[in-house]
Amino acid sequence: MASHNGNGRHHGPREGLYVPFSTQGDVVRDLIGKHDKPSDKWWSGVAAGAILLVLGIIGFALRLSDGVSDRIVWGYFAMMFAFVLTTAQAAPMVAIAPRIANGHWRRPISRAAELWTAVGLFNMLLFIPMLWILPPLTDGRRSLWFFDPEDPWLSRVPIYSPHIWATLAMLALVVAGVLLLWLSAMPDLALIRDNGADGWRKRWATRLSKNWVGTSAQWNMLHHRMGILGAFYFMMLIFVHFLISVDFLIALVPGWIDALYPITHAANALQAGVATVILTMVVLRQWGGYKEYITLEQFWGVSKLLFALSLLWFWFWFSSFNVLWYGKKPGEQGVLELLTVGPYLPVFISVFVLCFAAPLFVMMWNPIRKSVWGPTIMSVGVLVGTFLDRLRLYVATYSIPGIGDPHVDKHSIHLDESGRLPLALREAHFPEIPDIMMALGVIGGCVLVYLLFARLIPPINIWEQKELMLYKVHKTYHRTQVLVLGKPR
Amino acid sequence: MQEHIQLTQKEVNRDLLEGVLGLPKWWLGATSFLVLVILIGLAAYAYEVNKGIGVAGLGRPVLWGAYITNFVFWIGISHAGIMISAILRLTQAEWRRPVTRAAEVMTIFSLIAALSNIMFHVGRPWRLFWVYPYDFSRGIFMNVRSPFVWDPSAVMTYLIGSSLFVFVALIPDLAVVRDRATGKYAPRIYSILCLGWRGTPRQWRLQAIAGILLSALVLPVFVSVHSIVSWDFAIAIGVEGWHSTIFAPYFIIGAIHSGVSAVAMIMALVVWLWKMDNYLRPDHFDAIGRLLIIVATTWFFFFFVEWIFALYTLEPPEIKLRELQVFENPYWWLFLIFLLTSFFIPVPMWLFKNVRRSPMLMFLTTVLVNIGMWLERFLIIIPGLARRTPLTFDWGSYHPSIIEILIVAETFAFVALGMLIFAKFFPLIPLFDVKEGMVFRDTIKIGRRIVPASIRETP
Amino acid sequence: MAKRSVLGLFPEERIDTAADAMDALSSAGYTSSEYEVLTGTPYPEGTFGEEEPTHKLFRWPLIGAACGFVVGLLVTAGSQLAYPLVTGGKPILSIPPMAIILYEGTMLGAIIFAVIGIIIESRLPRIFMGAYDTKITEGYIGVTVTADESRMPNAEKVLRDAGAEEIKRGWESS
Repeated sequence: MASHNGNGRHHGPREGLYVPFSTQGDVVRDLIGKHDKPSDKWWSGVAAGAILLVLGIIGFALRLSDGVSDRIVWGYFAMMFAFVLTTAQAAPMVAIAPRIANGHWRRPISRAAELWTAVGLFNMLLFIPMLWILPPLTDGRRSLWFFDPEDPWLSRVPIYSPHIWATLAMLALVVAGVLLLWLSAMPDLALIRDNGADGWRKRWATRLSKNWVGTSAQWNMLHHRMGILGAFYFMMLIFVHFLISVDFLIALVPGWIDALYPITHAANALQAGVATVILTMVVLRQWGGYKEYITLEQFWGVSKLLFALSLLWFWFWFSSFNVLWYGKKPGEQGVLELLTVGPYLPVFISVFVLCFAAPLFVMMWNPIRKSVWGPTIMSVGVLVGTFLDRLRLYVATYSIPGIGDPHVDKHSIHLDESGRLPLALREAHFPEIPDIMMALGVIGGCVLVYLLFARLIPPINIWEQKELMLYKVHKTYHRTQVLVLGKPR
Repeated sequence: MQEHIQLTQKEVNRDLLEGVLGLPKWWLGATSFLVLVILIGLAAYAYEVNKGIGVAGLGRPVLWGAYITNFVFWIGISHAGIMISAILRLTQAEWRRPVTRAAEVMTIFSLIAALSNIMFHVGRPWRLFWVYPYDFSRGIFMNVRSPFVWDPSAVMTYLIGSSLFVFVALIPDLAVVRDRATGKYAPRIYSILCLGWRGTPRQWRLQAIAGILLSALVLPVFVSVHSIVSWDFAIAIGVEGWHSTIFAPYFIIGAIHSGVSAVAMIMALVVWLWKMDNYLRPDHFDAIGRLLIIVATTWFFFFFVEWIFALYTLEPPEIKLRELQVFENPYWWLFLIFLLTSFFIPVPMWLFKNVRRSPMLMFLTTVLVNIGMWLERFLIIIPGLARRTPLTFDWGSYHPSIIEILIVAETFAFVALGMLIFAKFFPLIPLFDVKEGMVFRDTIKIGRRIVPASIRETP
Repeated sequence: MAKRSVLGLFPEERIDTAADAMDALSSAGYTSSEYEVLTGTPYPEGTFGEEEPTHKLFRWPLIGAACGFVVGLLVTAGSQLAYPLVTGGKPILSIPPMAIILYEGTMLGAIIFAVIGIIIESRLPRIFMGAYDTKITEGYIGVTVTADESRMPNAEKVLRDAGAEEIKRGWESS
């Protein structure tokens, strides 16, 4: 039923829901063929990622040689962990959400987004040092767990509650993500098992595709389980952001009482996740050899998401800021001074421009949303902005003296009479060489893990592509050509 | 699979204009009853204006009572219109088609009802004069730094925007009524209202763009309106439990919860009163039921986070306030009813397909939600004020007086009457949207299975 | 010279006949601005082989937004400067509250101008209906020709030959 909609040569990127071949067999052959041999660009990516990762490990070792008791120097590490959580681990939502909403445009990019779940494994490693960096609840800080040594009941709360629950939640998120990836890859792994070139990939594909033969029971199960796992991943993502942002961020800042911020942390992650996927799409298009598959339709779809989420960024930020700014309680003033308008003001302004102002004024134009370069530039901006946002929050937070010390007041940052921060916080904390090495290493590690998994699992979802060919019909409607889209469920 | 019914345009006109061109038997009775309730409410209001706001149950420290609760409630309901029509238009959800207009019209009337609550509340309504900037002759201006100035600016923007939205989408249907109306004046009035619509491709094209463009423009306004209403409470530090950053999104999601529920109620009423079961199928109720599960769960998450952070500080005043809300008479049972009706009864029920597909059960559950959401606002406002400590010299409790109850009842009757009168003069289900849905509906045959499909214009 | 118009009506199910009539008008020498198809429901674009209408709607909300922003700025800044009363320790020209009202003003301007734009770009309001029939809103497809009076009989003939069920005359403004 599906038909080829290209007549004549196209010069620009293609529009519309487009599949470059007219039979399912051709699509399978093309995509399996493209995936059979690693390209030079893949090798260069892996090499670059590996070098950066080694650099990062050296940086980490240098950092570790100073121990974990001085939390000020670990701010940049915490920030990188949060950055990966905010970007890579949120990226799969670009596959999950449109799949639940039955948006056909997602099909060529859903795998590219889901592959980011594998990077969750890497972030799980990054999470381990965080357990040492975060002090137990005995320092008298406010927390989600309401530990209070004076109270007969609340003194029974385990003092490592944040560590325990955040670990469990992270594990659940990462496991759900990898399971989702495995599940959605199963039919494609079966294709590699049946059609791929011999070698380790085929052996792994055989093992991982289990007994997938594509019975209708298997397909039903697949759709059903993917729906459940996708919803579960989303809920865990929100929950992990909630726990991490409260326990590893808000609770450490005296006087920061901001019920909205945990949700803001998650909303920012959705925005950065979309930006991550856009950059992945560009890489797959330009260097991965999938130009024919990833078309303007996909860029248009994700651009709309990025635009909406950028507006949401402002709304969440302003909702918090307005209330704290109006409240002007001493604690609130201290928090605003530390995180927003104090030493990190230039960083905050950059974040504001990159995550909100620039996307608003650029992405409001439909021709830009419906292009490749527009969303790409904006995504780079959003990712840099998110990086800086995590920097301003985590680095500023971990540079507060007295974290973990029960003798320091945990209820407010005391400003002096002219409204200035305490001396120790008056200057922004700049990165040192190991911090820069670690930041590069984390980014390199993410790229490396992604590329390795993309070697095993095709970065274009083959079966969803085939499914699209069933539900998409081009036909003549009286004097015009229309696209008929089926809505199976 | 294909449970929608394909009809000719003539049949669609006949069905959907029945209530406009004819007069349903129950209509006069229903409107008379509502007018009576409104008259009683207005009489109560006249009494209040004459005697002063003291006739309401308000007193120190609870100076905001049923009127403000009702104001927030109706602002919340008003969010459904745009929520349903804008978001579903932008996501091209097919099931929106018969629902959009009723939702938008409800927006307009509930906004007016909300604004009227402010009139009732201030006691001296002529003082509203000071809200707007007029000219230099009186020498003083309103204080832009007060949320009570943001509020009218946002609500008026929303009211004007959504009224224009309704009007633009009404133009093609007005042309249909113009062509069908009989009598001396009706055809003339409709032909003026529809601005000489003919149905050229250009007009249809712009109508399609208008839906999307106006949705995109009204959507951000909708978000701002309830945020600003929440800041009426949240930016002040005087009342524990109000000063929370989460208030804006929490109010929005609560508004969507009650608003979408109200749309489901209206859908059921349209099915029963105007016998529109050919147009509002169990499928439509199913779709809105699914949407409600998501909305209600999100709302509950925000509710949970709001509570967690209220307790997070472990400060005695905040804990005391929450104790008052949950354990003390009469709030404990109101709180229990609120939790049960807004979440724990309806959401588990919506998980069942049979419930979602039944107009009766959807009607009942969504009525419950709206009872719960009215109480939610009540429980935010009244216990909060009752516990207000700084600068409070005497304490009284709060009971709505009979005057307040009559006036609150008046707002409900007002919105219902508005909808009924609108439905008498204009079609409540958009004719052209339904017809378009029928033209664009298609199927794809894959083997033995026929998959419902729709035509997309971009080839 | 006064324009006249003529309308041919085609039943709902005969879409192709109406499209043929449009083709016939085109080959009879009528330009695409002289004939139009009138329908009671939107059809996919180009169903009758008509040209895609062009419009400049998107500049309307932008102009409106700019106007609304300026008015909002004048109102907020102007009123605060005209009556400078410090409240709550906030500066006279406080950006967060001003931003809220500026935002509402901008959006209100954008919406009002967008609606005006929609109406004007739809070529409404239209005072002279020309040849029109109430059957169009009942599903009939109307093909109208608007041209000089002298070309009317020919247009009528083309429409009748194409299979119009009914032919009606009307008049336009001069």
